[in-house]
Amino acid sequence: MSKKKISRRKFLVRTSATGGVLLGAMYFGGCGVVKRKIAGIANTAEAPYTGNTDDPMIWFEVSPDNKITLSSPKVEMGQGTFTGMAQLAADELGVDIENIEVKHAASDSGNIDSFATGGSTSIMSLWVPLRELSATMRQMLVNHGAELLGAEPADVEVTKGNITAKGKTLTYGEIAQKVTEWKVPKTPKLKNINDYKYIGKPVPRVDLHDKVVGASIYGIDATMPDMLHGAVVRSTHIGSKYKRADISKAEKMPGVVKIVVEDDFVGVIANSYTEAHNAKDAIQVEWETDREWQTEDIEKMVEVGQGKPVTIQKEGSAKRVLANSDDVISLAYKSPIGGHAQLEPNGALAYVDGEKATVMLSTQVVKITRGEVADRLGISKKNVNIIPTFLGGGFGRRLHTPNAVQAAILSKAVGKPVKCYFSRKEEFQQDTFRPPTHHVLKAKMDESGKLIEAIEHNVSSGDVMYGSPLVPRIAQPLIGSDVGAWRGGMIQYSKIPHYRAVSWRVKLPFATSWWRALGLLANTFAIESFMDELAVKAEMNPVEFRLAQINDDERGSRLKKVIEKAAEESGFQDGVMANGRAMGFAASTDANTPVAQVVEVSIENNEIKVHKVTCVIDPGLAVNPDQIRAQCEGAIIMGMSASMYEKMQVVNGQLTPTIYGPYRMALMKNAPKEINVHILENAETPGAVGEPPLGPIGAAVANAVYRITGKRLREMPLSLG
Amino acid sequence: MKVDFKLNQKEVNVDVDENTPLLWVIRDVLDMKGTKFGCGKAACGACTVHVDGEAVRSCSFAVKFASGKSIRTIEGLSNGEDLHPVQQAWKEEIVPQCGYCQPGFMMATAALLDKIPNPTDEDIDKNIVNICRCGTYYRMRKAIHRAAELKNEAS
Amino acid sequence: MKFRSILLMITLLTVVMVSYNFNEVAEVQLEEQSMEAFGTMMEVVMHKRCMNCHPKGDQPRQGEDSHLHYFGVQRGEDGHGIAALKCETCHQKENNLNSGVPGAPHWHLAPRSMAWEGLSRTEVASVFMNPETNGGKSPEEIEKHMTEDDLVLWAFEPGIGLDGVPREKPPVSKEEFIEAVKIWIANGAKIPSE
Repeated sequence: MSKKKISRRKFLVRTSATGGVLLGAMYFGGCGVVKRKIAGIANTAEAPYTGNTDDPMIWFEVSPDNKITLSSPKVEMGQGTFTGMAQLAADELGVDIENIEVKHAASDSGNIDSFATGGSTSIMSLWVPLRELSATMRQMLVNHGAELLGAEPADVEVTKGNITAKGKTLTYGEIAQKVTEWKVPKTPKLKNINDYKYIGKPVPRVDLHDKVVGASIYGIDATMPDMLHGAVVRSTHIGSKYKRADISKAEKMPGVVKIVVEDDFVGVIANSYTEAHNAKDAIQVEWETDREWQTEDIEKMVEVGQGKPVTIQKEGSAKRVLANSDDVISLAYKSPIGGHAQLEPNGALAYVDGEKATVMLSTQVVKITRGEVADRLGISKKNVNIIPTFLGGGFGRRLHTPNAVQAAILSKAVGKPVKCYFSRKEEFQQDTFRPPTHHVLKAKMDESGKLIEAIEHNVSSGDVMYGSPLVPRIAQPLIGSDVGAWRGGMIQYSKIPHYRAVSWRVKLPFATSWWRALGLLANTFAIESFMDELAVKAEMNPVEFRLAQINDDERGSRLKKVIEKAAEESGFQDGVMANGRAMGFAASTDANTPVAQVVEVSIENNEIKVHKVTCVIDPGLAVNPDQIRAQCEGAIIMGMSASMYEKMQVVNGQLTPTIYGPYRMALMKNAPKEINVHILENAETPGAVGEPPLGPIGAAVANAVYRITGKRLREMPLSLG
Repeated sequence: MKVDFKLNQKEVNVDVDENTPLLWVIRDVLDMKGTKFGCGKAACGACTVHVDGEAVRSCSFAVKFASGKSIRTIEGLSNGEDLHPVQQAWKEEIVPQCGYCQPGFMMATAALLDKIPNPTDEDIDKNIVNICRCGTYYRMRKAIHRAAELKNEAS
Repeated sequence: MKFRSILLMITLLTVVMVSYNFNEVAEVQLEEQSMEAFGTMMEVVMHKRCMNCHPKGDQPRQGEDSHLHYFGVQRGEDGHGIAALKCETCHQKENNLNSGVPGAPHWHLAPRSMAWEGLSRTEVASVFMNPETNGGKSPEEIEKHMTEDDLVLWAFEPGIGLDGVPREKPPVSKEEFIEAVKIWIANGAKIPSE
């Protein structure tokens, strides 16, 4: 199928709203109030789209058979963004969604996002620009079509990718073929929301068929002619530096084409994956290590009080009230190091041909990957083309792509395409982990004993944002705290007279980074477990206890509504039910999306069994209710897995375990048989969906377990011992 | 070593090291990418295929053992135009998210339904032990029951 | 005549007595040898390489610490696993050096009647010698099973684990084990009272 690319002409449809609120604000200064302000913005801000918002030519391609290809600057990692984008585009273009094919934009298409795919921002940030681009595209086709038919644009009727005037019809495809010089119209008024055919409907995923027949191409599936396979020797011990390698045995292994020794790594190029990895295993590498880390060392580092504190939230005088009171309730909570454990390992297929490089891979940061490859090869960014594929899981794991650089170096060494992938052990040991956390929560009840007078959350965590290529180094000291680590760490109970949150940041000796919703899971686990403990102390129903302490401002009332709805839909009962099960409650607001969850739990053979989860989410306007449900279900199960089973340890300097099984994760048998998701839409635009529903689950489960056993589980993974 | 086997009903012949995992022969020699590499240690199930009708994790199956056998992958799960009931059910329930683990799950499910046409929840829990990081288990369970219905209707 | 018969009687008696003593000595020696063989044999039998697949429940055990097999793997009706999760789903005819997954011909779990987990070594021996629990096998058949079956002898060539580290072998070599089994069975397969 040959596609005709519309002739490219630069034009301006809409003044682009680039420069993120968060990033923009980072440069303002460093005093405490400003840092808090920045923290506040990061806690609530809507993310603007920072890629191209004004050139439909780089977004759309119309083929003669009237199919429209939407070139997506956002990557599809399961979150359903392709489907959401197809919905936005189809409605404004006036075409059937089946006629839209969404594909990843290669970096040389010009349509790259200067941020990343992550942070639950894709649909939220594209809500306006993509509909405007689509509407402009439609108007342009209408205008040129009308001209071809000798009619006025106003007299043209648009139906499903066809325009009709004077009894004659042209398809968009026919128009695109006939027009050589495009005139760009002003962005027309967007359609009324009630006129949308796809937006707001549970449209099946656009990638569904391919994923069901095994036809979707992920990074690891990419191929190029004459491709060889690579493997890179990676250190197994924390902090060890490569010194030298003995490659004599590996060189003689079957299938080995070349062994590349760089200053910082050794790579093998062979004819097959197995041969490359076997030869890699035969390389004797000498590493230099300063010390042998253990889990306890790491745990000590993240104790509250050890790192650098930054006050991220302050209302009233919580510090003073708590200091001057002798009946302060103080409890500590902990979460472990977590692995991403996504199913597709990291790697890349690279072809460096002289001054040009092409890299195919699963990445969440196309632009950063391009920059890193260009820098290392010493070539211009313009000469590096990054072709993103479907991601076999993202979750933040693809925000760091040194694997692209390594594949490029290996390719350069042999002048052929080289595909170089991690083994599963490497994937586990070289992960950019969710850092462990330690939380100290303090509260003082008021005179009635029913309400909180002052509360303070201290969270210490390994860095998430610091050291990330996503955040300019210059901005880091200015914002002071680690925006990622404390996500979900602020107190949402705004009616409490005095509240305060302090984030302690620590740089750990191994790589830590963004993991779906970052600090949200652990922070919500701590805060919402603590709230439950306080409710029990106050002899209050935990739902009423929460509702009584939330303001009725916009944010507060949205949170209240999800809490009320979750209690109602689940028939929330405080205490053990007739069937021996108990319910647990928790809620959070993350990225401006409030979520409440109620779990129904029993204890079987000394294991916690979650039977049913009721989840209420208010993501604002729901572009695709089915995919919002899917994200909630997935986040609940992933959150259960992380809260109940998963734990990485540091043993004699090595991160372990390195394989599924020993790294215990939720399986089919652990998943709740009933998950009821209810969507409230108390905001007019789409908000965050992918991460927020991960927040409450851990606390909800722990709170339910307490009602059955009388025992508080204050440490993830939740274990009955 | 030369190995002959049937792949999705077609005779194939490969000449590779006899201990090469079947997974890599399917993916890289025969260029069918639907079968996925997840762990290389038979722990995640992403590479599940059928060998003479039995579910097998192909990352841990030396190609020499495939000799004379009939191998089926996700690409050969449906026999022609129509999707296999498992694929059809997966579509109806909109199961996949990232989708990477799904071929392995579908192959395991197809093997399960061949042996137990109407699996109970307990059968599903015990037999389907692949790993999905997106957490699609909830929909998968519904899809497995639906696939059983579709398959029984068809036969 | 009387003297001669007396002499004959004495001679006979002596012979009988001497031979009796002789038998006694020989028997004590054989008994010791048999018990030693028993001990050698049981050092292997009681080892985790054997024990992991003779569990008392419905799940195999695995690893050096004999944890329950990951992923809730089940024995199934015939010890070969269940519908879509057979032993052969992961375990093939030989150890897989790429994945570290162990393998041997007809890899499967011992039947429930042959559960050894938690038993003493004499109890284990009673279980595998008793035709009611061992599948109706005679001592000769047991000997053949223990000295020739590839799955039993896999214990001596257990390959590498998932981490690439060689699996621990039983403390006795294959040859010593086979010899011990043969001696013990040849001498009546006596199980000591412990």
